[in-house]
Amino acid sequence: MTGQGLGIGIGLAALGVGIGLGLIGFSALQGMARQPEAISKLQVVMLIALAFVELVFLLTVFIVPGTMGAFR
Amino acid sequence: MAEAELKAPSKGALIVSALVGVALMVGGMYVSKNVKLSFVETLEHQGILLDPGKTLAIIGVFLILFKVLDNFYYAPLRDAINERNNSLEATFTEAAALRSEMDGLKSEYEGRISATEASARAEIQAEINKAQELRRTLESEARAKADEMTRRATDEIAAEKARALGDIRLHVANLTLQATEKLLSENMDNERNRRLIDEFLDKVEVPTA
Amino acid sequence: MLYTGLVVAIVFATLSVAMGNVRSAQKSGTPVFRKLFGGLFEQVYLFVHQMCTGTIGPHGRKYVPMILTVWLIIFVSNAVALFMPTSPTADLSFTLAMALMCVGYVQWEGIRAHGLIGHLKHFAGPKLPPAMFIVTMMIFVIEMISEVMKNVSLSLRLFGNIEGGHLAVTSMNQLGEAFYVPAGALILMPIKLMTVIVQAMIFTMLTCVYLALVTGNEDEH
Repeated sequence: MTGQGLGIGIGLAALGVGIGLGLIGFSALQGMARQPEAISKLQVVMLIALAFVELVFLLTVFIVPGTMGAFR
Repeated sequence: MAEAELKAPSKGALIVSALVGVALMVGGMYVSKNVKLSFVETLEHQGILLDPGKTLAIIGVFLILFKVLDNFYYAPLRDAINERNNSLEATFTEAAALRSEMDGLKSEYEGRISATEASARAEIQAEINKAQELRRTLESEARAKADEMTRRATDEIAAEKARALGDIRLHVANLTLQATEKLLSENMDNERNRRLIDEFLDKVEVPTA
Repeated sequence: MLYTGLVVAIVFATLSVAMGNVRSAQKSGTPVFRKLFGGLFEQVYLFVHQMCTGTIGPHGRKYVPMILTVWLIIFVSNAVALFMPTSPTADLSFTLAMALMCVGYVQWEGIRAHGLIGHLKHFAGPKLPPAMFIVTMMIFVIEMISEVMKNVSLSLRLFGNIEGGHLAVTSMNQLGEAFYVPAGALILMPIKLMTVIVQAMIFTMLTCVYLALVTGNEDEH
């Protein structure tokens, strides 16, 4: 039962993070297409934003099992 | 370049950081071997492996690494890069100077070319004008000569015609008088008759031209 | 510790070869940085230099050696993680050490730039009227927590990406086990390759951003 909950929780986190990553990529691509001369700056900012969104998923992955264990 | 102010760390800083780094490494190993912290065990229970001793030791490693790499590797390589950049910059400024010099030469040359072209054009224009002048005088001369010739010819023709007319008139008068003499068998040739004939001829004569 | 030693050895070896290249080029009069390792190091140096000056500003030059060291270690560790079962960056102790060091260095630089009081004021947010003192206190506490979380986020991001790559490769290898095909190692190689570069860049770039936040305020005030 806990295993299933864990899977669902991590899946949900992956879903949200996937949407977030997609939005970042979408807007970054749009900005790059509109202003090709700003590509280098946009790329850097995009990577940083990607890192922050990714971090949410990593936190979930590392914290969910711990809390599961704590509440058991 | 302003980057020259970035100097390699001093020997003292190097030694201090090395000592601190080694101390941290040894201390980290000791902690890793002997000290058991409760929150580490909690984390391990949650599936996250963390070794604070190792962290300490690695901070020590990095402290040494920073100084050693900076002193023995980055500084010389940075110097080489700066030297390269400076030489490149010097080359570029040299190239720029050469180019400006070349530009000056080019503009001078172009000015000379344009001046030459202008003078050539003026000369050509002058030649053309001269030729046109010559043509005009030649033409007018020729026309005057032709006019002269025409006039002379006309005068000659008129004189010839007048002479011929006079001849014909005399001839006709003589013929008439002779015919009348033959007819009347007497000499009709006197002043009065001749005048009469002339008057008649004047009457019949078709005006010429 | 064995892999850390390996990574440090690789870094030292690469830099030594690069410096040997440069030295021999200088001695023989040929253009410097023509050889492979010399040119490689030059590119890395210019990349980090551009990152520092681009993010921090003109005074970011003096952080180049530190950022360059961190970049090299992370990059080599991640590259080792491509081919080895484990690597320094797939170890939370290692990444936490780096994060602690970077954030600590940022604090040190902030104190050096503004003084201890000025640096602490930096945490208290914008200047508010005395009636809003409690808000300032709250901002201060939140900023302190976020400062601690910087360590966690920096270390956990790097560790999670590399360790996650390893885990993904292992579990995908189990898919191809029946046919004796290392599926994960083959399929995930491009993604891991990208991770190698991107994670090294993000770690150093975020350090640069923190440095810029802490030291770059004198122009604005």
